[in-house]
Amino acid sequence: MSNLIDIKVPDIGDFHDVPVIEIHVRPGQRIAAEALLLTLESDKATLDVPAPVGGVVKELRVKVGDKVAQGHLIAILETDATDASVAAAAPSPPAAPVAPAAVVAAAAPPAGNLSPDAADLLVLGGGPGGYSAAFRAADLGLKVVLVERYPTLGGVCLNVGCIPSKALLHVAAVIEEAQQGQNFGVHFAAPQIDLDRLRAHKEQVVGKLTQGLAGMAKARKVTVVQGTGQFVDAHHLSVTTDGGEQTIAFRQAIIAAGSEAVRLPFLPEDPRIVTSTGALKLPCVPQHMLVIGGGIIGLEMATVYSALGARVSVVEMTDGLMPGVDRDLVKIFEKRNASRFEQVMLKTRVTAVEARSEGLRVHFEGEQAPVQPQDYDFILVSAGRAPNGKKIGAGQAGVVVDERGFIPVDRQQRTNVSHVFAIGDIVGQPMLAHKAVHEAHVAAEAAAGQKSFFDARVIPAVAYTHPEIAWVGLTETQAKSAGVAVEKGLFPWAASGRAIANEAEYGVTKLLFDAATQRIVGGAIVGPGAGDMIGEIALAIEMGADALDIGKTIHPHPTLGETIGLAAEAAHGSCTDLPPQRKKQP
Amino acid sequence: MADLKEARVPDLGGSSEVPVIELLVKVGDTVKKDQGLITLESDKATMEVPSAFAGVVRDIKVKLGDQLSEGALVAIIETTEAPALAATAATPAAPAAPAAPAATPVATKVAPAAESALAHTHDATQLVGTALPYASPAVRLFARELGVDLGKVSGTARGGRINKDDVQNYVKATLAKPALATAVGTGSGLNLLSWPNVDFSKFGAIESKPLSRIKKISGANLARNWAMIPHVTQFDEVDIGVLEEFRVALNKENEKSGEKSGIKLTLLAFLIKASVAALKKFPEFNASLDGDNLILKQYYHIGFAADTPNGLVVPVIRDVDQKGLLAIAEEMASLSKSARDGKLQPAQMQGGCFSISSLGGIGGTAFTPIINAPEVAILGVSKGEMKPKWDGSQFQPRLMLPLSLSYDHRVIDGAAAARFITYLGQLLADMRRVLL
Repeated sequence: MSNLIDIKVPDIGDFHDVPVIEIHVRPGQRIAAEALLLTLESDKATLDVPAPVGGVVKELRVKVGDKVAQGHLIAILETDATDASVAAAAPSPPAAPVAPAAVVAAAAPPAGNLSPDAADLLVLGGGPGGYSAAFRAADLGLKVVLVERYPTLGGVCLNVGCIPSKALLHVAAVIEEAQQGQNFGVHFAAPQIDLDRLRAHKEQVVGKLTQGLAGMAKARKVTVVQGTGQFVDAHHLSVTTDGGEQTIAFRQAIIAAGSEAVRLPFLPEDPRIVTSTGALKLPCVPQHMLVIGGGIIGLEMATVYSALGARVSVVEMTDGLMPGVDRDLVKIFEKRNASRFEQVMLKTRVTAVEARSEGLRVHFEGEQAPVQPQDYDFILVSAGRAPNGKKIGAGQAGVVVDERGFIPVDRQQRTNVSHVFAIGDIVGQPMLAHKAVHEAHVAAEAAAGQKSFFDARVIPAVAYTHPEIAWVGLTETQAKSAGVAVEKGLFPWAASGRAIANEAEYGVTKLLFDAATQRIVGGAIVGPGAGDMIGEIALAIEMGADALDIGKTIHPHPTLGETIGLAAEAAHGSCTDLPPQRKKQP
Repeated sequence: MADLKEARVPDLGGSSEVPVIELLVKVGDTVKKDQGLITLESDKATMEVPSAFAGVVRDIKVKLGDQLSEGALVAIIETTEAPALAATAATPAAPAAPAAPAATPVATKVAPAAESALAHTHDATQLVGTALPYASPAVRLFARELGVDLGKVSGTARGGRINKDDVQNYVKATLAKPALATAVGTGSGLNLLSWPNVDFSKFGAIESKPLSRIKKISGANLARNWAMIPHVTQFDEVDIGVLEEFRVALNKENEKSGEKSGIKLTLLAFLIKASVAALKKFPEFNASLDGDNLILKQYYHIGFAADTPNGLVVPVIRDVDQKGLLAIAEEMASLSKSARDGKLQPAQMQGGCFSISSLGGIGGTAFTPIINAPEVAILGVSKGEMKPKWDGSQFQPRLMLPLSLSYDHRVIDGAAAARFITYLGQLLADMRRVLL
């Protein structure tokens, strides 16, 4: 059932006979609510006239040069009621993913004209960035098709990344805290680990979330197509599905095709050599495990496997674990984890691996390389992630992809092709889900005609190791190398009652302030719950808070979060939980 | 496998509604990739719309006089090459090979590959100092919606923080500025009387004729330059007797030897060369104002005003300091021809440091040329004339050339202008000085 409505010039203030200088829509075009219809130019300013509702333009009643006033009929619009009913009438057979109106069969691409059935927005990739973009755009009234190569939404993060690793890290923490019970007179028996049950638990966690996503997609009438997408041109994507190929026509697109773990070409094909995806499958608990790459992903998995009983060695090419994190924080991690690792080999690389039936013989080279090759029974390769920019036929759509596979975008997430956006891992570092989601909303809103930009100033990062390390904004290392003047407020958790009670007195909260303005520009926390507390510092940076704002905010006692307020007081020189400071205070 | 493709108007560098002045192909013609399909005439230049594909023209969708913008459909071309998709993604099992769908009428805006504006970086060191405006995320969003550059808004909240009211007040203040200021885009209202509104037909027969596009554009530029630049014009006469003998002799030589046939050295070529020598000696003439800074240029591109049937254009000869007189004369001749034919490209009119307007071929004793902003000076040349000159004991007949140098008094002092024109006169009296 269609619903035709008249669109008239809204109240434009005390103006009459204002000339139309630009018309942004054509008859037959589908527009979202708030999309630009006309630009008027009065003697003082230009005014944009947006559409009050979404729909298809049936008829235009003005032309460039016409003079209009409030109430003048601009266009006749068929509202979206029709499409909702079409999408709602999706067939029920459970077999292949349904392809309703928006999906055009491969055999019949529309010649010359984009079919009115074409998707307003195609999203390629169903990870956190992709589904967030699709959902936001659908909420803004766009007809959205989401293409995902795997059977479940959620991408790496939900299926083989953040979420399953957190499920396992939680279990690892339970095991290790139980062991520490003996320090205060509570003795547990050594843990018995049922790997199948543990695996099922992890899968249950993932399953809850992915099912939730499928439901949310349905509730928003987002069409999900499972298959591998390749651009055919700037308005068509070909999808290889189980049922053959289909071509999807779209008016705008968001590329959210993510990244994948880097494979090292010299490693043999062997089931005992895995990336993070393979490690999360928990195939076994190895006796001797080697982690190649001492970044966050490698150390998180090292934590899980060592809690389950593996002896773990780490090999890292640079001169320290967790590159990019301030060294004083990493030192705390190293000290706390000294017993976890069999060996940590810095400035060292793997040169060859021989896959033998009795073990994987690994040859090293570098400063801390063992003289003899070492044997391991499991190897995790966590040497970084590479963007998938070169795998989606971006060139056919005219989208520029750089030599590493990243797609350059502007602050609205637009690629060089203005109606094609890109978000998440595929546009650059940091490869973090929360960055992708934020970019996703920017791109979806821009696609719906809003003036959204990526204006966030900081992106927090967390290593969910034991202890956790979280940081946001400027680091001390960056400040030093860029030569910018900062003041530091450091609160050692040894002075926090709650930290001592929680056996976490090794922790630290550090804040950095602009020496000139006193505004906070960065912060970092090491200790349990660091990741949960870093959000306060991110908010303070975005709001431009200074040391007094944070210090004069009453934090609850006794908590670990209190250390943020105390660190700010330390910077100001008014902290009474630390020995008297020599620093002047105003 | 043949395929129908649409040829569309490419990025016009900001121009829109550009009239079609020539159709270069007709239906049935075979075209090569990049071959011109139609000619458009924009502000100042004409440009050809090339075919993005090789093939046969099946349909032409425009006619003379149509006004086109970027993305407008020009022609349908049947390409002779197989579409890329069919070549790479052959899927025999699929019900039908997906034919590459024709491009759609949805305007596709593609920036060049090397677009450096695509920079989306997260640089935490920017947090320190004043690189970023002091405003919370919600205020940043509000400013984006109104299109306000927060860098221009001053904050009134504690410590100079910009709040929502500050953004609103900024917008109100901007809208309240006089309409003229927005129209001229300067922010400096001139408070002029409105233009006299006269019914001319009351006084006699009249005919109304639209101004040419070039006249309209150059008129707006000239009005701005005249209103905004404090002009002073310095006049002088220089003795070009020796130079003229040399020029005539050279041209005769060239004719005889047959070398460089067709290239005639004009006086203007000498003026261009001499001007560059003077610009080198007085660098503030080779400059532009940029707010409170003076941009001094280390290149020497000279514009010369060319009269065309459609109006005045100023083609630019680049790197004059690295070119000889013959090369300059040759380039001038070809640029003038392009200008007369309406085929100058926008790039051929950009980058000038200093302009010369010569009316010497027509007549006159002096005039006040208008500076071609953002340049800071322009040289007007009138008709050379034999005049009696007192050599100390008697009058000698000398060929004297009148020069009129208009300069931007914000940048150049009167004394500097007098020195510049005097030095230019010395150079023209004895071109050997250019070598110094």
